[in-house]
Amino acid sequence: MSAPNGNGRRRHELRAEDLALGYGSHEVLAEVDLEIPDGRVTAVIGANACGKSTLLRGLARLLRPRAGAVYLDGKRIHRMKTLDVAAELGLLPQSPNAPDGITVSDLVGRGRYPHQGWLRQWSAGDEAAVAAALEATGTAELAGRRVQELSGGQRQRVWVAMALAQETDLLLLDEPTTFLDINHQIELLDLLSDLNRRSGKTIVIVLHDLNMACRYADHIVAMKDGRIFVEGPPREVVDAASVSAVFGVDCEVIPDPVSGAPLVVPRSRHHAPVEEGVTGSRAVSSRG
Amino acid sequence: MAAGASRDTRALSAGLAGLALCLLLVCGLSIAVGSRSIDFSVVVDALGGHAQNSTEQTVVNDIRVPRTLLGLLVGAALGLSGALLQGVTRNPLADPSIMGLSAGAAAFVVLGISVLDIRDLGGYVWLAFAGTAVAAVLVYGVASFGREGATPIKLALAGAAVAAGLWSVTTGVVMTDVDALDQIRFWQVGSLAGRNMPVLEQVAPFLAIGIVLALVCGRALNGIALGDSTARALGQRVEATRALILVAVTVLCGAATAACGPIVFVGLVVPHVARAICGPDYRWILPYCLLLAPAIFLVCDVLGRIVLAPGELEVGVVMGVLGAPFFIALVRYRNLAEL
Amino acid sequence: MTGGVTTLRTAPVGASIRTLRLHRRRSRFALTALLGALAFALFVITLTVGSSSIPVTDVLASLFGLESNEGVDFIVHDLRLPIAGAALCVGLALGIAGTLFQQLLNNPLAAPEFVGISAGASLAAVSGIVLFAWSGIEISLAALAGAFAAAILIYALAWRGGISGYRLILIGIGLTELMLALVTYLIARAQIYDAREATHWLTGSIGQSGADELRALIVVLLLLSPLALLLNRSLRTLQLGDDAARGLGARVETARLGLLAIAVALVAFATAVAGPIAFVALVAGPIAHRILGPTQSSILAAGFVGASIVLVADLIAQQVLPVALPTGVVTGAVGAPYLLWVLVTLNRQGRGG
Repeated sequence: MSAPNGNGRRRHELRAEDLALGYGSHEVLAEVDLEIPDGRVTAVIGANACGKSTLLRGLARLLRPRAGAVYLDGKRIHRMKTLDVAAELGLLPQSPNAPDGITVSDLVGRGRYPHQGWLRQWSAGDEAAVAAALEATGTAELAGRRVQELSGGQRQRVWVAMALAQETDLLLLDEPTTFLDINHQIELLDLLSDLNRRSGKTIVIVLHDLNMACRYADHIVAMKDGRIFVEGPPREVVDAASVSAVFGVDCEVIPDPVSGAPLVVPRSRHHAPVEEGVTGSRAVSSRG
Repeated sequence: MAAGASRDTRALSAGLAGLALCLLLVCGLSIAVGSRSIDFSVVVDALGGHAQNSTEQTVVNDIRVPRTLLGLLVGAALGLSGALLQGVTRNPLADPSIMGLSAGAAAFVVLGISVLDIRDLGGYVWLAFAGTAVAAVLVYGVASFGREGATPIKLALAGAAVAAGLWSVTTGVVMTDVDALDQIRFWQVGSLAGRNMPVLEQVAPFLAIGIVLALVCGRALNGIALGDSTARALGQRVEATRALILVAVTVLCGAATAACGPIVFVGLVVPHVARAICGPDYRWILPYCLLLAPAIFLVCDVLGRIVLAPGELEVGVVMGVLGAPFFIALVRYRNLAEL
Repeated sequence: MTGGVTTLRTAPVGASIRTLRLHRRRSRFALTALLGALAFALFVITLTVGSSSIPVTDVLASLFGLESNEGVDFIVHDLRLPIAGAALCVGLALGIAGTLFQQLLNNPLAAPEFVGISAGASLAAVSGIVLFAWSGIEISLAALAGAFAAAILIYALAWRGGISGYRLILIGIGLTELMLALVTYLIARAQIYDAREATHWLTGSIGQSGADELRALIVVLLLLSPLALLLNRSLRTLQLGDDAARGLGARVETARLGLLAIAVALVAFATAVAGPIAFVALVAGPIAHRILGPTQSSILAAGFVGASIVLVADLIAQQVLPVALPTGVVTGAVGAPYLLWVLVTLNRQGRGG
């Protein structure tokens, strides 16, 4: 689960200090201190409206902090030039908008924006980056097809390819698996793991699926009511007590038979073991 | 729970009664106030038929009373048609003029003036009907192509497009026919001035029928507001209801526009005020529109009579000037754009 | 996976992408050039027709100063060139501005006449005609001021921590209604000849202003079109959505404001020259889009399409119809059905809103 700490890549530091974020008059996050582990996969989890997307957007410089600051390599991210930030931080937002009729290779090519200028429009380096991104995401054979014709899973991979073409060391993804079916979810998360292990990219991903987070992440950040409730490696952090506190659900946590990561098995009104050894449909439920 | 509901009903009924009283007062205001100042006691006498000054008697009975009655009916028609349009399209920005209906009426009227040489209001009425219907079918038909059907933004833009296209036609005609221009430019402002008994008699039946039709649709609109599939699952005949409502809208808008010319914003703004008072239940929204719209309409008319006395500022202009800020505030603060 | 293997694997992919890109760039260039040639051809045809028709060769000779024939020169340079030139420039400006609006607001139905800019120009111009008995350059200046004022007002009203395309369009529609209500009022109040003049101006016609306005428009076109082309990259990045664009390093609000300002300036000066000509700005973009294929940089192509439409409409309005009509009537009559068709076909593909 750990990424190779070398590859000749630079270390990066992305952290939030006493961060408060909100929309309009509504405050969402307060007093958040967070350091994103370099070269690891970090998953941000929490119940709906706990602020996890807001946190990611704050880290990605999309939101101006009301208090505190976000630091990228020691510099306040809001004081940096947008292009400088884009050269180090790539983002896949929640509902990206593909222009009508755009082809895959075109869309991935847009990811080269921060490396191009008014005069230097398109170079061999750009093409190599696009090609590499397509290869890495397994979308090379889709290069000439229109994005709107692709399946949900393929489309998400293309968006990841665009973020990859940006050639950044950090990659932030906001709920990229939300509308995907299970095989595409796994496909995408495997891809992100590859990127982390092979190229040492730091990945920060907001996930709503707790078990996927446990399986794929090196570091979990669990949020509740706009604050970080607990953070750490999944095995240390995810247990019945913390799941109950963060999600409000009663559960058992067992080791995942496939990956060994914590597996959260929720209890509910209809499925609660009354005594040891009695599970599932044979359980006596208090209400019909 | 039951007690709470009846409390609400009681509160709303009380509100309605209060509104009716206000409307009565506004009507009184409309009869009493005008560019020619007449003492209140004289007005009362005139209404009874025994004022001393026969001019003033004429002014009150033959000018102001029909004008007030027409204002009542037209205001109610516009307010109701706005509420109906908003309900049937599930679009809080629907309104006869934004949907291009007024432009349709205008285009047909000007074609009638120019091509068929129709000059009397009776002819205008039928032309305005036809124009309104054609525009309605065009806008709704065009906007509902596509997976999502007639979304608010598509309707607004289709309406603006149809309105602009029809306006082009209208201008093309008036550029070649100066007489037509002279006729239509006054009509296009939207006014109650100069509308007296004959006008009222011509359009009143249509307006009355339309109003009755509209009020009957309250429950059906509640169903449609939930979405077509849900409404059908609840046993409602969606297509039939929609057709009926569109007929009602056409009759109401057509007659109102024929009588007074195109009037903006009443249909848009009044349903929102009504909704703010009584919630999303159309069985209440419609009666509130019925009373609120003519009240606002007549107040604007009275304002127009006072502001430029002894001349007059047409109610269409007053409504346009006052209505736009309200509409803009609506778009800004109600986040309607996201719908 | 070592670096060497990756390079080998990406080589064929890279090559195919490169050929794709070059191929598309060449076809885009060719099609745009073709459209430019079409616009120029129509421009020349406009110079040949009139009360006396002049052969094409003579027109070209006169244009480029190859031969000196006083009679032909007079007709071409002094009589017809101003009109044809105005039609060409107005069409270019409206076409470019229209496609900028549509791409910025991410809606193929965004156009200056809906967003309120034309209404602002109209209100100012009609006020000038009716209230102050202005004429000529004064009306054009009023239209210019009105367009800018309306644009600023709408932008300010639509700003709420940023600009949403929908909000801008809807507020634009609302303000348009208000301004047009005032325009109708003024026309009703005016003397009949003022009313006629105002209505004529409102319809839009190429010949209605003088050389100064045209010169101003030419300058603006020459300055702003290259700027728009340079900003094209930002424009295409904005299409990905505000968040993704920021993630790529685009300065979203600045770029949007800059491009909107360019579009507004083009519309304002074009309206000062010819009045609010309907529909050109609206349909030029989609037509160019259809010809060039999707997501190709179509700013220049849209300009040429716009120029072609205006030139053709002017030809029809002046020469073909039994009664000479203002250009705006023809563009409206042609544009409206086209627009509705666009709505239908776009909506069928789920892209209309």
